[in-house]
Amino acid sequence: MERKNFIRSLMIGAISTPVIIEACKKSSITDGSNTSGSGTAGTTTSTNGTCTVAPTETEGPFPTKLPASYVRSDITDGRTGYKMTAKITVGNLNNSCAALAGAIVDIWHCDAEGNYSEYGGSGMQSTNYQSVHFLRGRQTTDANGLVTFTSIFPGWYSGRATHIHVHVYNAAGTSLMVTQIAFPEGAGTSVALVNGYSKGLTGYTYNNADNVFSDDKTGVEIATVSGTLAAGFELTFKVNVKA
Amino acid sequence: MSRKVITLCYRKIIDVTNTSAWDKFVHEDSFAEFKMQAQFYNQDQRYTTFAEMLLNVPEAEKLHFLVSAAITGYLRQLNGIIPDILDNLGRRFLTFENFKFELINSDINDLEKHKIAINFFSKPLIWHGTIDNLLLVSQFKESNEAEVFTNLFQIQSFVSIHAIKTID
Repeated sequence: MERKNFIRSLMIGAISTPVIIEACKKSSITDGSNTSGSGTAGTTTSTNGTCTVAPTETEGPFPTKLPASYVRSDITDGRTGYKMTAKITVGNLNNSCAALAGAIVDIWHCDAEGNYSEYGGSGMQSTNYQSVHFLRGRQTTDANGLVTFTSIFPGWYSGRATHIHVHVYNAAGTSLMVTQIAFPEGAGTSVALVNGYSKGLTGYTYNNADNVFSDDKTGVEIATVSGTLAAGFELTFKVNVKA
Repeated sequence: MSRKVITLCYRKIIDVTNTSAWDKFVHEDSFAEFKMQAQFYNQDQRYTTFAEMLLNVPEAEKLHFLVSAAITGYLRQLNGIIPDILDNLGRRFLTFENFKFELINSDINDLEKHKIAINFFSKPLIWHGTIDNLLLVSQFKESNEAEVFTNLFQIQSFVSIHAIKTID
């Protein structure tokens, strides 16, 4: 069957559904996760083409508008490690670095083993939809320009110092800044305490050898990190953008 | 007796012509997310289409994955049931946990050029046999029961057998 016909066959069900939607709304059928009732029914339609089986089911579930799964404060998604709270403040370079409210902040970092959430390999491999974007999150800055994420202390991988990626957008989603947060090093610091989790720190790349952070002679990319293994760590960092 | 265990893949194509609410949410939200995430690979704003980005910035391949976060919430709303695909009784019968999101084409300036696919991978099924042009399948279970409930369905466009395994 040609794609055009296929798509058309998808549409037939959509056009014929509204009556059924109304009928269902009067009953107590919901999609189970949202009862706001603002959605309209999805298409339940055959793609059989010439030999079509008519859809013969109660309509539903009813979709409702949802933000991207990045939008959450706790980005742990079941990953184990030492707890870390990341407090990132966004300032506006065009306003004496005063707090920028309403900015969108994406962060992402690797897990204790040094792996990012992404599709494993290319081609045929599929992913379970429940926990696919671990250790990636998005928040919007409050009146103080602050966003807070709950996560785990990042692990490390060959060639890079411990880091967190940050992408700041304006409220409309236009990119303002792509940067990375570095961690303080040396005796008693979080990097030394966590000690690379099970890997240790043999072969670790320190900030002054890191290809991203090595040109940062003044430490402007290094966050303030306090805390202990038992209590968890708190990271604070300020990003200044031109908004 | 040996049994054939199969996994089906349904590749659901969504573009601007889709009219159902779920499809439209997926289309619009994946486009918005594409526009946001693409900026990471297009910091000089030299490219407008996904194809150009892939050609010039190979890491833009990750956009398939990164944009998929825009739609996983909608996958959850399906309650584990693969949409559109019906058995011969007219019921949706395929369940899924795994998916793969694809950007087929997109253009940061044009929603109409945004076309995506969601590959739904079914949970394992036992393929008991073929009757006329219909496959007779049942949900795969570890234990061998005397009687199992089955579904008859026709392989159709955009549906394929993704994997097969013969077990004893």
